[in-house]
Amino acid sequence: MSAGPPPAAYDPTTVADQLRELLAEVTGRADLLAIPAETELFAAGVGLDSLAGTLLLRRIKRRYAVDVAAEDLNLDALQTLGTLAEFIAARAARG
Amino acid sequence: MTSTAAGPGPVLKCIVWDIDNTLLDGIYLESPDQPPQADPELTAVLRELAGRGILQALASRNPPEAAAWVQQATGLEFAAAECGWGSKAESIGRIAAELGLELESFAFVDDDMLERAEVAAALPDVLVLTPEDAAEAPGWPQFSPRVITAEARRRSDLYAERRRRQAAAAAFGGSRDDFLRQAGTRITIGRAALADAPRLHELSVRTHQLNSVGEPIAATELASLISSPGHVVATVTLADNFGDDGLVGAAIMTGKASAVMTAPAIMMSCRALGRGALDALLAWLCRTAASTGATEIQVPCLVTERNVPMRLALAAAGLRAEPGAAAAGGRALFARSVAGELPALAGWVTDRDAP
Repeated sequence: MSAGPPPAAYDPTTVADQLRELLAEVTGRADLLAIPAETELFAAGVGLDSLAGTLLLRRIKRRYAVDVAAEDLNLDALQTLGTLAEFIAARAARG
Repeated sequence: MTSTAAGPGPVLKCIVWDIDNTLLDGIYLESPDQPPQADPELTAVLRELAGRGILQALASRNPPEAAAWVQQATGLEFAAAECGWGSKAESIGRIAAELGLELESFAFVDDDMLERAEVAAALPDVLVLTPEDAAEAPGWPQFSPRVITAEARRRSDLYAERRRRQAAAAAFGGSRDDFLRQAGTRITIGRAALADAPRLHELSVRTHQLNSVGEPIAATELASLISSPGHVVATVTLADNFGDDGLVGAAIMTGKASAVMTAPAIMMSCRALGRGALDALLAWLCRTAASTGATEIQVPCLVTERNVPMRLALAAAGLRAEPGAAAAGGRALFARSVAGELPALAGWVTDRDAP
């Protein structure tokens, strides 16, 4: 086996920036690129519904190999942009 | 292995057809001035299956004009068409994603043995057929839904409307609620009528992504629940300026006049995904439970990879389960209080039972 590139380091701030892009992609809303980390994802702030939520979780699984739905029965990780970034950063770093 | 046996299995939802020497009696590009006519036998099969509510789609290595010609020659509007040089397996995958359907509900028909072999190898869940097999398909159980509802008969039209809606939503750029308002979304929720039982049974069989139960519910059982004074069976209808989807969802609630109301079944067509209908139903259930004097609502929900959209809606509506509770039979009990502030019904939602 040849040595591949070193595993990318994930910190919550970087992940949060990447998540803003994913959110803007799955919703088609450019205004989500600028939301603060404490913005609630389900409530009025982002208004994440079943469709956008499913698309987001699929992108997260592909990009970070973190299956949020499998690890978090209540999907509490989706409370805010910041909690989701921390959830992913903690697990992506492990892999 | 190419699966052609007409053995028992679930009823299929979509058939993807090749064009050259399958739906057309000849090769489209070889006769540009006068393209080949539609095969009369398979055209009859197409119409018969479309009438049973099974979607028809095209996958071809021809240019898109070939799909337009097939629509004209057969007189049938296809739910999706993938034309290009990519593999047919990829085309089928894109059609499944566009229609929001699982691959195991697909059949693929092609006269070319290599194309069939490629799809069978890449997509083992897809039923792969020769045109000769397809000619007999209407007699097979996989193509014979027991009940054909009004929604089923116009399913192809509904998917065509959905394509136009999705294109408009992608170009919109505002929030989902702003789009729903601009699209003239109209949702009604209220008690089911006895005549709804066959459609509710069909929903229990066909829905997976937005289904809390994961098992069919018999029409006779649904009919007795609808007539039962101890139960609330609610139905959801959905329409907007793009089209009328009819009855798209339902829920069953028990425990009237007790402190805890339980919704043992919530199910909704994936056509309603992203259109506020499930959020509206969950809000209606909370409000109905509160109005009968309950202080809590409980939703036992199967936890699978497929129904993550259902769990997202439960989470968005404020329902939570005990962590680690999913062990017993893959089900978890989601609950929330309905004693305090209740989720609001959006402006485009009508409560049919409201006085």
